[in-house]
Amino acid sequence: MPLWFVRGLRRGVVTTRYPARPDDSAALLPTPPSFRAEALTVALADRLVAVCPSRALTRRREVLVYDVGACTACGRCRAEVPAAVTDSGQFELAATVRARLIKHVPLTHDGRHLETGEKDSP
Amino acid sequence: MTAEAGTSLGVKETSEALREALARQFGRSLHIRTLDTGSCAACEQEIRLLAAPHYDLHRLGFFFTPAPRHADLLMVTGPMIRAFDLAARKTYEAMPGPKLVVATGACALGGVYQPDAFTRGGIGETLPVDVWIPGCPPSPLALLQGLLVAVGRLAEKVQELSFTENGTPR
Amino acid sequence: MNPVTVLAGAAAAWGLAALIALAGGVSRSWTRMCCLVSGLGGAAALTGGVASLLAGNSRVFSAGGSVVVGTLQLQATSLGGVFVALLGLVAVATAAYVPRYHEPGRGTGLYLAVYNLALLASLAVLVAGNVVTFLVAWETMALLCYLLILRRPRRADVAAGAFWFLALSETGFVLIIAAFVILAARTHTMQLDLIAARAHLVGGSWRDAAYLLALTGFGFKAGLVPLHVWLPEAHPVAPADGSAFLSGLVVKLGVYGIAVFGFWLLPGGPAWRGVLTMAAGAVTAAIGILYALGERDIKRFLAFSTIENVGIIVTAFGAAMTFWAYHQRLLWAFLLLAGLYHVVNHGSYKTLLFLEAGVIEHATGTRDFDRLGGLARRMPRTSVITFVGTLGIAALPPFNGFVSEWLIFQGLFQGFRTGSHLIAILIVLAAATLGLTGGLAIYAFVRGYGIPFLGMPRTRQAADASETAQPVAGPALLAVACAALAVGAPAVLAALARAMRTVTGVSLRPELLPGNLTVIPAHTKFSGFSPTWLAVFLLAITALPLLIYLAGRPRAASLTGPVWDGGIVAFKPRMQYSAMTFSAPTRVTFDALYRPSVSVRRASDDPAGRSGPVHYETEVTPVFQRYLYRPVIRAFEWLADVVRPIQSGDVNLYLFYVFAAVLVAYLIAAL
Repeated sequence: MPLWFVRGLRRGVVTTRYPARPDDSAALLPTPPSFRAEALTVALADRLVAVCPSRALTRRREVLVYDVGACTACGRCRAEVPAAVTDSGQFELAATVRARLIKHVPLTHDGRHLETGEKDSP
Repeated sequence: MTAEAGTSLGVKETSEALREALARQFGRSLHIRTLDTGSCAACEQEIRLLAAPHYDLHRLGFFFTPAPRHADLLMVTGPMIRAFDLAARKTYEAMPGPKLVVATGACALGGVYQPDAFTRGGIGETLPVDVWIPGCPPSPLALLQGLLVAVGRLAEKVQELSFTENGTPR
Repeated sequence: MNPVTVLAGAAAAWGLAALIALAGGVSRSWTRMCCLVSGLGGAAALTGGVASLLAGNSRVFSAGGSVVVGTLQLQATSLGGVFVALLGLVAVATAAYVPRYHEPGRGTGLYLAVYNLALLASLAVLVAGNVVTFLVAWETMALLCYLLILRRPRRADVAAGAFWFLALSETGFVLIIAAFVILAARTHTMQLDLIAARAHLVGGSWRDAAYLLALTGFGFKAGLVPLHVWLPEAHPVAPADGSAFLSGLVVKLGVYGIAVFGFWLLPGGPAWRGVLTMAAGAVTAAIGILYALGERDIKRFLAFSTIENVGIIVTAFGAAMTFWAYHQRLLWAFLLLAGLYHVVNHGSYKTLLFLEAGVIEHATGTRDFDRLGGLARRMPRTSVITFVGTLGIAALPPFNGFVSEWLIFQGLFQGFRTGSHLIAILIVLAAATLGLTGGLAIYAFVRGYGIPFLGMPRTRQAADASETAQPVAGPALLAVACAALAVGAPAVLAALARAMRTVTGVSLRPELLPGNLTVIPAHTKFSGFSPTWLAVFLLAITALPLLIYLAGRPRAASLTGPVWDGGIVAFKPRMQYSAMTFSAPTRVTFDALYRPSVSVRRASDDPAGRSGPVHYETEVTPVFQRYLYRPVIRAFEWLADVVRPIQSGDVNLYLFYVFAAVLVAYLIAAL
C-alpha cells in the first residue's frame, strides 16, 4: 500500500500542498499598498488620508495608521503620491486578531526620520 | 510554507496548541455556510470560484452547505445591513458548536461603508469573528489561505508583514 | 351457540333502545341508557354475525305475514354474517360515541329512536330469507336513513342532501324490485335459498337482465359511478354518527346486494358479466379518489374515499366472477373473500374517520380543511386515533387496509390463469387502475391528515380547539379493531374461508393459510406474506433505534433551540400548504376530468402591478349532475308536462277514466 494512501487515511485528506507551485496570477491583481516611510511627510500623509475612499488611512500625530483590512486596493493613494506608495504584492493576509491588520507607518519631517522616539500605542 | 518566526515564545506556543486543536477538529472535513449581509457579490463570486477545478475546495475536505445546522464555519461578506441583524444572529445560533466565523472582504472588516442608519459597517459587533480576510474582493488564493488559517492548517503571516519599506517595522 | 338466537337478541335490544329513546325524558342519563342498550345489541350482533359466518346457512324461519305479501322469512347466512358482524362493530362504536356528541333533547331522542330502528332494519335486510322480507326491510332502512340525515331539517343544505339520498335510493329500489321479480317469477318461489337452488331455471337472457338490474339498483346504494351522486351531498349534512353509519354500513348493504346476486342467487354466468362489474368497480375507484382530491370539506372528502373503496371491492367481485367463467374456482372464492375482508376493513376505518371528523367539527366549528391546522398539538388523542385510521385507509403496512388490498392485487395479478389473452389484459388494466387509485389514496390521505392535524393552526378556531369533552371511546375501539384485524389477519381470513366454503362450496383453507401465520393468494408458489410477522418486524425496526438512543444518549447538557426557519422573523400560518394547493398537481394533470371553471377578478387593471387584491376562484364542474342527471330530470319533467292534461280536474273526465278502466279489466278477464 503506498505511503501517501496510508498518510491520507490518517490525515483524512490526500491532496497537494497549498499551493503546490507558487501561483503568480494573484500577484498580477491589485494588492494593498506598501508605503515608503522616508518619503512620507505629514503633508503627503494628509493628502493620502483625504484621497482614500475606504477610510483605511488615518494620521495620528506622526504615524500613518494603515488598516490593511479596510483597504480595497483601489490604487488612489498610489496615483496621488506615486513616490511614496508601491504595490505590496501581498495577498495572503488572513488574520485571527483584527489588530494585526492595522499597521503603523512612521512619518518624516522634511526628509529626516523622526527622532523623538515616541512610541505610539497601536 | 509556514513562517515560524513569531513575536514571543508564549504566543507562539499558545497559537500552536490552538492550531493543533483546530486541525484535529476540522482538519478532515469542514462545512462552510456563506452569509451575504449586503455585499456587492464580488466576494461571493470569488468564493464560488473556490469550488471550481482550478482551486478545488473539495480536495481539502471543505464543502459548502446551505444549512447552518450542518455547518462548521460561517463565511460572512458584506457590511451587515441593520435589517439583517436577526437573520445573522439566527444563522449563527443555528450552527452547532464548535463553530468558526470568517469575515471576508473589506466591507465585513469595517472598510468601504461607514456605520449609518442602514448598515453597521462591519460584522465585528454582531458576530464573534475568528479570522479576518481582507481584500476587495479577496482572491481565491487569499480565501483559501484564510480558510486554512481558520482550521489551523496554515499559520497566519500577516503579523510579520509591515507594509513599510525602509522604515522601522512594527 | 346458536347464531339465530343471538341475532334475535340483538334485534330485541335495538328495538328496546328505540323505545327508550322515544319514551325517555330529555336528560343525558336517558341517552346513556339508550346507547348502552344499543351497544349491547351491537355486541350481540357482532357475536352473532361471527357465529353465523362460521356456522353456515341456518334454516329459514317464518315469522307471520299476510296473505297478500306472503310470509316474512328470515335466514342467517354466512354471506350475511360478515356484514352483520360489521353492523355490530359499527353499532358498538357509535353507541360509545353518541352520548358525548349529541346534546340531550327532544330532537336527540327522536334521532336515536330512528337510528336504532335503522340498525334493526339493516339487520333485517341482512337476514332476510325471502324476497318480500328483503324488499320491505330495504325500503324501511332507506326511509329511516333519510330521517337520520334529516337531523336538522330546517337548514336548506340538509334538506337538499337528504333529498338526493332518498331520490337515488328510490330509483335503485325500483330496479331491485324488478330484478327480484324476474327471479321470483322464473323460479316460482319467493324464498331466497330456493331461488339459489333453482337458478338453472332462469333462462340465459333473463339471468343477465336480472343481474344487470341488480348491479345498477344496488349500485345506486353502493355508490358506483355514475350513480354515486348522493354520497357527497348527504354525508356532509348528516350528523357524524349518521355519516359513519351511512358510509360504514349502508353503502355496504349495496355491496351485499351485489354479492348476493353475483355469488348466491345467480352464481357464474358469462365472462362479460364479471368484466363489466370489474370495469365498473375500477372506474368507480379511480373517479372516486380523483374527486376526493378536489374537496375542501372533510366529510365530502371522506365520502368520495368511500366511493373509491367500494370501487375496489366491486372490482374484486367482478374479477372473481370472471375467474369463475374460466373455471378458476379457487381464485373465484379467493377474490370474494378478499372483497369481503376489504368490506370489514373499510367499515372499521371509515367509521373511525367519520366519527373523528365529527369530533373535529365540534371542537373547531368547521369542516373546512383550510381553516384547520395544528390540531395534533391541541387534540393529541384524536390525532393518534385518526392517524391509525388514516394508515389503514391509505393501505400502508402493517394495517388492515394493506392486507386486504394486497390480497385483491394478488388475485388480480393471477389473471393469466384464465388462459384468454384479452381477459388477462383487461384484468391487468383493472389492476393498473387500482394501482393508480392506491397511489392517489396515499396522496389524498397525506393531505387529509397533514393539513388539519400538522403544521400551524390557520384560524383562531383551530388554535382554540380542545378535546376535553369529546368522545374518544368509540373511535378508540375502532382503532383497536383496525389493529386487531391487521395483526390477527390469519385468524380473520380463516373464519372468512369457512364462510366461503358455505357460499361457494370451495375449500380455500390450504391454499390461503399454509401455516406459520402466512397468507398466500389461492396458489402456492405465487406469493405470500405474513401480516402478523410483518407487524412484529415493523415494530421491532422502529423500536431498535429508539432503544439505541435511550441507551447511548449523551449525558451532557443539551441545548434546545428554535427550528431553523431560514432566518425569517417568524413562521406564519399562511406560509403553509393549503388543501387545494397541495392537490394542485393532480388537479392540473386531470384537468379534463375536473373541467374547472376559473374566475379571476382584480380591483383594477393597473399594469404596474399595483392593482390591489386579486380574487381567484375555481370550482370543479359537477360533471355527473350536469351532464347525466340534469338531462334525465329535465326529460322527466317534460314527460310530466306532456302527461299533465290527464289531471284536468274535471270530474266527468275522471268518471270516464273509471269507466274505461273497468271496461278494460273486464275485457282482459274475459279473454
